[in-house]
Amino acid sequence: MGDVAAKIKVMPESPDVDLDALEDRLEAALPEGAEIRGYQREDVAFGLVALLPTVIVPDDAGGTEAVEEAFSDVEGVESIDVDSVGRL
Amino acid sequence: MSEDIPHQNLAIIGHVDHGKSTLVGRLLYETGSVPEHVIEQHKEEAEEKGKGGFEFAYVMDNLAEERERGVTIDIAHQEFDTDEYNFTIVDCPGHRDFVKNMITGASQADNAVLVVAADDGVAPQTREHVFLARTLGINELIIGINKMDLVDYSEDSYKEVIDEVTDLLNQVQFATDDTTFIPISAFEGDNVSEASENTDWYDGPTLLEALNNLPEPEPPTDAPLRLPIQDVYTISGIGTVPVGRIETGTLNTGDNVSFQPSDVGGEVKTIEMHHEEVPSAAPGDNVGFNVRGIGKDDIRRGDVCGPADDPPSVAETFQAQVVVMQHPSVITAGYTPVFHAHTAQVACTIESIDQKIDPSTGEVAEEDPDFIKSGDAAVVTVRPQKPLSIEPSSEIPELGSFAIRDMGQTIAAGKVLSVDER
Repeated sequence: MGDVAAKIKVMPESPDVDLDALEDRLEAALPEGAEIRGYQREDVAFGLVALLPTVIVPDDAGGTEAVEEAFSDVEGVESIDVDSVGRL
Repeated sequence: MSEDIPHQNLAIIGHVDHGKSTLVGRLLYETGSVPEHVIEQHKEEAEEKGKGGFEFAYVMDNLAEERERGVTIDIAHQEFDTDEYNFTIVDCPGHRDFVKNMITGASQADNAVLVVAADDGVAPQTREHVFLARTLGINELIIGINKMDLVDYSEDSYKEVIDEVTDLLNQVQFATDDTTFIPISAFEGDNVSEASENTDWYDGPTLLEALNNLPEPEPPTDAPLRLPIQDVYTISGIGTVPVGRIETGTLNTGDNVSFQPSDVGGEVKTIEMHHEEVPSAAPGDNVGFNVRGIGKDDIRRGDVCGPADDPPSVAETFQAQVVVMQHPSVITAGYTPVFHAHTAQVACTIESIDQKIDPSTGEVAEEDPDFIKSGDAAVVTVRPQKPLSIEPSSEIPELGSFAIRDMGQTIAAGKVLSVDER
């Protein structure tokens, strides 16, 4: 079935969260089989910056749910939303 | 990306192995959207080996390889330009659990190309994707009858598949008058950018012509403001800042707004987008804003912000059309899974199953059935267990669709027919 690339929007808890450190924590929290291929950052408002990792998951692995759950529990994360998905 | 031509999100839908990826590659190739270095690399290799020509298959392989490595290009996002539009491709993953992302994600498609293989016809995922396209509010379908090379470009085979697809479209009440059917071969390139000699019996548009002929999507600016709240922050020096993406309407400073179902409101003081203060924001904009008199605990994720004089609907119950995609047993009245609609996730009870729809005719097969199961379409009445803001799909489609999840799976998708307000 191939892999799927999902761009996931990670909102930090506050404008003060260190995004470089947050990248490391997201990396460490990845469920097995998933892989991060680079990050984008997006200025939102009032100093808030969203982190947008592109995560590769297998198409047959049941969607992005496992990744979303794992990321939600990471320290400094306010919320997780899937921005877009595309097949590889 | 071109700034001076209108933009569209284009979904490529269809059954697995009917050639969606090949078609995406072919569209990129024919519109000159394949990265320059992939073409250069091919030229060099071709010269070394002493064979000329520009092989599409080679480009497909290398695009796949590029994407697998995925270092420099935005792999979740592919785009190409035609004369009329800049298209972003929304390529739908095969697995059903991605359906939730297609419903709640940012890149909702305006129009779609349905790929149906000429040698296979309508297959299970063709059916599922067409229903989803309908649920997701896709306006027009262009239907590429693909792999025409495998049926020797036979007009009879083409017509047979058209009949099958037309039946399917009628079932889900897609207006077939607006549908364009095109015999193509994504692999060979027939009727994609140039009319093919192999199908001299066909005198309709090529795929790129059909894409150019699509009506320009109108941003839902005239609809009332609907802004689902993603997160709520307290920012020092500013106060409470809700953040979210505007689905419909416009948000202006000075507007009197209402948050539902939290049922609080106030005047918009400042709006920021990309860290810059703006007087007004439109559909698709991600904004943070500040509302006079609203505290952090007054509103929450899942609230919808709208005008105070036309506030978002809050459902006591709502009636919806659903399609069950996967469920291990049967669904009966009383079933309470989690509904995902915009940024809200609320447990909802299916209070009654009102009608079962016969998938082969599209007509009501049974009134008040005892149960529904995988593959069934039905009209159901739903009671949210906590207040939920949702809108009839016919009035505000952007706020009228949902995914139903249970046991870690997306089990159904649906759209709201009517809302019985609290």
